Amino acid sequence: MSALLRARGLAKRFGPLLALAPLDLELGPGQALAVLGPNGAGKSTLLRLLAGLARPSAGTLEIGPGSASRSRRRRAIGLVGHATFLYPALTTRENLVLTARLYGLDAPAERAQRMLAEEELLAVAERRAGALSRGLAQRAAIARALLHGPQLLLLDEPWTGLDARAAARLSRRLEAEQAAGRALVIVSHDLARVAGLAARALVLVRGRAAWLGPEALGDEKALGDAYAASVNRLEAAA
Amino acid sequence: MTATTPLRTWQHASAVALAVSAALWAFFVWRAPIDAMQGPIQKILYVHVPVVLGAYLGFFLTALGGGLYLWRREERWDRLAAAAAEVGVLFCTLVLVTGPIWAKGTWGRWWTWDLRLTLTLLLYLVYVSYLLLRSFTEGSERAARFAAVYAIAGLAVIPLNYFAIDLAGGRTVHPENLGRGSLGAGMRAPFALGMLTAVAAFAHLLVRRLEVGALRSERDRREAEAFREEA
Amino acid sequence: MNALVAILWKDLLSEWRSRDRVVAMGVFALLVVIVLYLAAPPGSGPEARAHVPGLLWVAWSFAGVLGLNRAFALELENEALSGLALAPVERGFLFLGKALASFVLLLVVQLASALAFALAFDLDLRPVAGRLALVAALGAAGLCTIGTLFSAIAVRTQYREVMLPLLLLPLLVPVLLGAVRATNALLLEGTLPWPALQLLLVTDGVFAIVSFLSFEVVLDE
Repeated sequence: MSALLRARGLAKRFGPLLALAPLDLELGPGQALAVLGPNGAGKSTLLRLLAGLARPSAGTLEIGPGSASRSRRRRAIGLVGHATFLYPALTTRENLVLTARLYGLDAPAERAQRMLAEEELLAVAERRAGALSRGLAQRAAIARALLHGPQLLLLDEPWTGLDARAAARLSRRLEAEQAAGRALVIVSHDLARVAGLAARALVLVRGRAAWLGPEALGDEKALGDAYAASVNRLEAAA
Repeated sequence: MTATTPLRTWQHASAVALAVSAALWAFFVWRAPIDAMQGPIQKILYVHVPVVLGAYLGFFLTALGGGLYLWRREERWDRLAAAAAEVGVLFCTLVLVTGPIWAKGTWGRWWTWDLRLTLTLLLYLVYVSYLLLRSFTEGSERAARFAAVYAIAGLAVIPLNYFAIDLAGGRTVHPENLGRGSLGAGMRAPFALGMLTAVAAFAHLLVRRLEVGALRSERDRREAEAFREEA
Repeated sequence: MNALVAILWKDLLSEWRSRDRVVAMGVFALLVVIVLYLAAPPGSGPEARAHVPGLLWVAWSFAGVLGLNRAFALELENEALSGLALAPVERGFLFLGKALASFVLLLVVQLASALAFALAFDLDLRPVAGRLALVAALGAAGLCTIGTLFSAIAVRTQYREVMLPLLLLPLLVPVLLGAVRATNALLLEGTLPWPALQLLLVTDGVFAIVSFLSFEVVLDE
């Protein structure tokens, strides 16, 4: 089984600040990785590096087979970031159609319609994205990221702003994606939700990483304890 | 330290070349005959013409450094671009200062919108915009990238500007090339040495500025190390 | 190609809904025409009026810069620009889409202000209308290609409003000189000088190529 994602010595520096210390990471199809840590630890930086939005200061990153072109790599990735990437002047539907066209999908209007139905966004399909509530905008952003069926899903705090029902639906969706062979990297503070999804976790504290294995991710309590211990250890090592 | 050692050699070499060249040049300028028509003010041309070389060489190197940076993503090419821009703008300033001084002394006007003057003025504006872009972009990697793109665009526009100003009828006033016999006896040596001195001066200043750039990079690297040790 | 049309459609649709760019550009251009009229009224001598075509290009280029400044402002909300950067499409096509949108808006403003201009100065533009449109379009194309590239750069710097004209104006000289030359000849003599046209075509080509190729690196974070 070939890895979807291979990072070796991946690091990011902003001037004198080392946002991410050199990191090795490998992820195969159907695998999910949780990324945990206090604010400002470098989690979002890692995600942006994996998404190809930012260039690493050091190290290598491969998405898909080694020979994959830039276009194929981008096609393989779906990112749910802190911002929604939605155009406020366009409706939800129009935003999705635009995304479909940017990703070269066939029948963009139908794809958008299907996604709107799946994510229960039909009620706000004709509303301008700028007028969506936070929760709805987040759901639209998730729909946008999933639209082109990416192999690798990168999610930064995806449950933020979602009500219980929408949050549960997202968890189910992510489980389904994982079962379908997609790889997930999820940054989240919501330990309960990631414990159910991921088999491994990466704990980042000020750019430095520690790993947690499946035993820690059995349930929320176990994860909480393991996480706290990890954070203490990383901070003490500083 | 290793980054600066080869630069140090170049620095000493260019300093020597500069000193020798400048001495010879000054000697020949002093000895050069006073131009019959223009009078002593003509001697400022021995400065003006050589610094033009520096001004255009500077921008060429800036664009080259930028292009190489975009291709290779190695910081040292960006350092070249930044250094060449600062040295080049200095030379360009000298062109725009010595030119009008000479013009006032001979044609009686400080400025005309002639082809070469306008072209150099536009180059100066591009230099300034380039340096401002570098200053006002946050993030050294982003600044390097943006500056490189701008420098390449700026270089591409120089020949376009030439034709544009020519089209607008700006060919008139500036004296044509001083080769081919229009140089009187005793004028060839100071001009040639002037060019040599300009190149030596440019090289020397460039090397010193590169050294500053290398030291800054080194400092940043050490700060990052120290930060990581602490963190 | 699909992406180009998608971006073009998005920009024009957004503009249609808010109309803020084209109104600002149009009002600005109109103001300049009015100022020109007051400064060199139709009655004043041929020397004063000879400069007027050039000043029309001042109006058009400043209106163009005004529009270009706003072109990437709409990409900053919700980090939409990052959304574009993620797309698996040749980024040069994203550039073309945005440049074309700005181009269309500028053409609209040029048309409206040309009419105002003809009215104010009592000019009959009909004999030169086609060729004037060509010159206006070529000038607008040069402005919008390199202008879109620099707008994408300027929007991520400090003082972005000032940065765009600062970066743009020294490089617009070939476009402006060519366009002014051609416009002058058209309005005063009724001829279209080939050298000016040639300069515009070459400059537009160079700018389009440089911008298209550079957009890949400009859109990185």
